[in-house]
Amino acid sequence: MRVVIAEDLALLRDGLTRLLRDNDCEVVAAVGDGDALLREVVDKRPDIAVVDVRLPPDFRDEGLRAALEARRRVPGMAVLVVSQYVEQAYARELLADRAGGVGYLLKDRIMHVAEFIEAVHRVADGGMALDPDVVAQLFSRRREHEPLERLTPREREVLALMAEGRSNAAIAESLVLTVGAVEKHVQSIMSKLDLPPSANDHRRVLAVLAYLQQDGADSATT
Amino acid sequence: MFGNPRSIAPSQADVTVGLLRADTLLRLLALAVAAAIICVATNVLVKTTATASATPRPAGPGPGLSGVAWRARSNPAWRIHAAADGIVVGFLIVIWGLTSRGYFWPVWVALPLALALAIHGWVVTTAGNQPLLDRFLGSRALAIVGGIFAALSLFYIGIWAASGGGSFWPIWPILALALVLSAYAAALRLSASNRAELTERIDVLEETRAGAVDEQGSELRRIERDLHDGAQARLVALGMSLGMAEQKLAEDPERAGQLLAEARAGAEQALRDLRDLARGIHPPVLTDRGLEAALSALADSTPIPVTLHVDLPERPPAAAETAAYFVAAEALANAGKHARANRVDIRIFRTGQLLTIEVADDGRGGADPEGSGLSGLRRRVQALDGRLRVASPPGGPTTILAEVPCGS
Repeated sequence: MRVVIAEDLALLRDGLTRLLRDNDCEVVAAVGDGDALLREVVDKRPDIAVVDVRLPPDFRDEGLRAALEARRRVPGMAVLVVSQYVEQAYARELLADRAGGVGYLLKDRIMHVAEFIEAVHRVADGGMALDPDVVAQLFSRRREHEPLERLTPREREVLALMAEGRSNAAIAESLVLTVGAVEKHVQSIMSKLDLPPSANDHRRVLAVLAYLQQDGADSATT
Repeated sequence: MFGNPRSIAPSQADVTVGLLRADTLLRLLALAVAAAIICVATNVLVKTTATASATPRPAGPGPGLSGVAWRARSNPAWRIHAAADGIVVGFLIVIWGLTSRGYFWPVWVALPLALALAIHGWVVTTAGNQPLLDRFLGSRALAIVGGIFAALSLFYIGIWAASGGGSFWPIWPILALALVLSAYAAALRLSASNRAELTERIDVLEETRAGAVDEQGSELRRIERDLHDGAQARLVALGMSLGMAEQKLAEDPERAGQLLAEARAGAEQALRDLRDLARGIHPPVLTDRGLEAALSALADSTPIPVTLHVDLPERPPAAAETAAYFVAAEALANAGKHARANRVDIRIFRTGQLLTIEVADDGRGGADPEGSGLSGLRRRVQALDGRLRVASPPGGPTTILAEVPCGS
């Protein structure tokens, strides 16, 4: 798997490069700003770009904007955005663009190396990796929502992991369940929330997220 | 009726002789006075010109009339002026004494000179004398104009007296001057209320500036404490776990693995602490996406249901935005912690140059406007020239209203 890294802090850039190389990823470029990222993705056509949200020159959300722009220039390229903090607003912007794999994770998650590498692969393969904190925000946004109340605690756990973008197998491993048990939970959740069943993990994630985000507006922003 | 002219001739001669004697005496007296004036004035002139450049002006005594007189006399320019006038008038008196008969004409030179000197002295005494100026509605211009008018009036009266009295004609120019002065004073009185407002404004600015400095200081102390007790302590613990893992690596790999997992958990917690701290200083999403996104994220992380209405055609200046955010954040925290509210409404809108933040909950009220949270918030809002009002009767509900100017 070929990776481009955009991270302005050399310490983290080198650390990330080493960590990915140690896990059989080929880091084809590691750059420090958004313009360089755009050059490299057009030039090298990587499988995935791992991008820090905050990049020079303004250290605000240049990374996010560069990542979205990179996807316009190289359609379908997977993007994994990492940050010291996660915000619902950024997640929405990233997810609005539904072409190709998308990930949005706290940098903290990199410390769980195996899970992080798994997320990189998932996103590179067109899947999704949404930070548990973002998912938790989505859930709290819908706290008064009836159908969610009807889910059992176990089903909520499964739904949260689905929203993070995990496959049934990964959910089963994470919750120490059999894949069959997870499938049953998933079916139950989809019917309780009135969502169409889907064999495709990615489409399922999108449906779940659309459901969770759909009128986040009734906790209401005008 | 007229009698014999002869018979009165001797007595007329007597009177003339008497007059001549009195006249001579007066002339001698005038010459003596003139000589004295010239001597004193020359002495003053020589002394003043010799020392004026060399001697720094001493600090004057306290305010008050003696101080005022002292100030005029101690002013070298005025002293030179007075001495020159004295010499000129002295010589005129000498010339009059030696040559003329009868009419004391030097008065016509002396009066304008005295007028000019009086005006000079008045300007010098009132310059920088605030207590004296304050008696003239605090206006130096009014004081100087009043002084000049007073000198002019005295000058007219002097002319009237010197020209032998008669009908008191100076009353008319004096009345006119008084009228002009009154109009001027009335105009000043009107602007004096502006002055009072300005004074009050300065008081408010001084107070809010001190408040802002206090608030900033206590914020920095809080941050230092949080860093010390939070992230720093966690990093120390993390380092200890790593050190122990290093020791155990060869002999007890399983234990080493546990320690490494602990170290990683410690690092994660330190990151969370730092993230919370950074968010408390300034939430990044506020800078990047503005009030609505920041407050929406805040509402999501609050256990109470929050209704958020943000009606802003454009982003307010950063300082106003930050203040608005922290007003809402503090009010939300209070609603959850103290008021046990079930619902919070946040409304943010802009009317003209004023950004209004209104946070209302349905809790049990009783918030203390002087509590540390709210008073810190007030200082924060006041530092921007804004206002914070808290209505929180016991039993509730609580409404917090902040208005922050956000003009260009």
